[in-house]
Amino acid sequence: MSSRRVTAEAASPRRIGWATGLGLVLLATALGLGSAWLVLKRGDAFGAHAGPWRANLLAGSADADLYSRARVAVGGLLALNRAETMYYVAATDSDGQPLQSRCRYRVSGPPPKARWWSLTAYAEDYYLFPNEQRRYSVNGLNAAIDDKGGFALISGPTDPAWRACPGCPHPATVA
Amino acid sequence: MTQAQSSALVNSRRRLWAWRIGATLALAGAVHVVAVWALPRVIMGRVLSAAQPERTSGVFLPPMTDASQRRIVMPSPDLLYATCAFDVSTQPLRIRADPKAPRYWSIALYADNSDNFFVINDREAAGKPVDIVLIGPKAYARAPVLPVGATVIDAPSSRGLLLMRVLVADYAAEKSVLEAARASLSCEALR
Repeated sequence: MSSRRVTAEAASPRRIGWATGLGLVLLATALGLGSAWLVLKRGDAFGAHAGPWRANLLAGSADADLYSRARVAVGGLLALNRAETMYYVAATDSDGQPLQSRCRYRVSGPPPKARWWSLTAYAEDYYLFPNEQRRYSVNGLNAAIDDKGGFALISGPTDPAWRACPGCPHPATVA
Repeated sequence: MTQAQSSALVNSRRRLWAWRIGATLALAGAVHVVAVWALPRVIMGRVLSAAQPERTSGVFLPPMTDASQRRIVMPSPDLLYATCAFDVSTQPLRIRADPKAPRYWSIALYADNSDNFFVINDREAAGKPVDIVLIGPKAYARAPVLPVGATVIDAPSSRGLLLMRVLVADYAAEKSVLEAARASLSCEALR
């Protein structure tokens, strides 16, 4: 009796029960999809960055790796390749804190050396914020440039989208 | 059960679980790679399926971008768009445009995996009309007769999307000029 039982146990690698097999397949699928989601959520961690700004140099490129192409498809579908356009995205402020719609932000600096540029705010779902003024961006055609050649914009819950504010204090001092 | 039999049973079970864990991890890896590879294609497939041409020229002219636009992520509120969903599996596509826009405009082509494989902008066009013939990756039943002077572009996939962008400073003030610019676009099968 006992020798027959030992023989049957030694042959069990070929006898995976249906329930165990199905459970492992489901686990593998969950692991695969979950790990893919986690890697893609890291966003532009694999691109170029300067302060809070991230840029994926392979956006739209046929040379993009699997992950770059997938990230761009999720967060920037139909992006032009870098020979035509560069996209810089900031999800945090300069202190590394996630951007929040209840906060007030000041964006300033020299305008990009480009034929044309635009600064646009998007919600967490990558679509435009609804606002009564229907103002969603400031660009190289309408940004107010100060006497030092720079621009300063402020935006928050009580301001129209990207109001020009060259003399505005740092948000930390605004009441 | 003797001690030797018990030890053999334990080793057998260890081998079994090692095989199960290895197979699970290998399958998870395959699922991971397939999911990342397929995602852009699935997303583009949905965009191409939803593309609805308004005219016989095959061009879709969406309204000026605002917060109600939720078809494509990160739409630019500074650009006026026009799109053509193409399928060059059985015949080439002839793309023509003559945008007399005051500023930047571009016509970009995207493959079914979202790669941007071709762009032409206003500076490159240098004021001349655009005349492009898009050829698919598969051989045609008969060789197409190409229009004289047209630029031939090879598409890496049979299906894809054309996206035209026209830069807008003040849509209300420039509406007639901007709309005429994108209305000049046509995407027609080359017969």
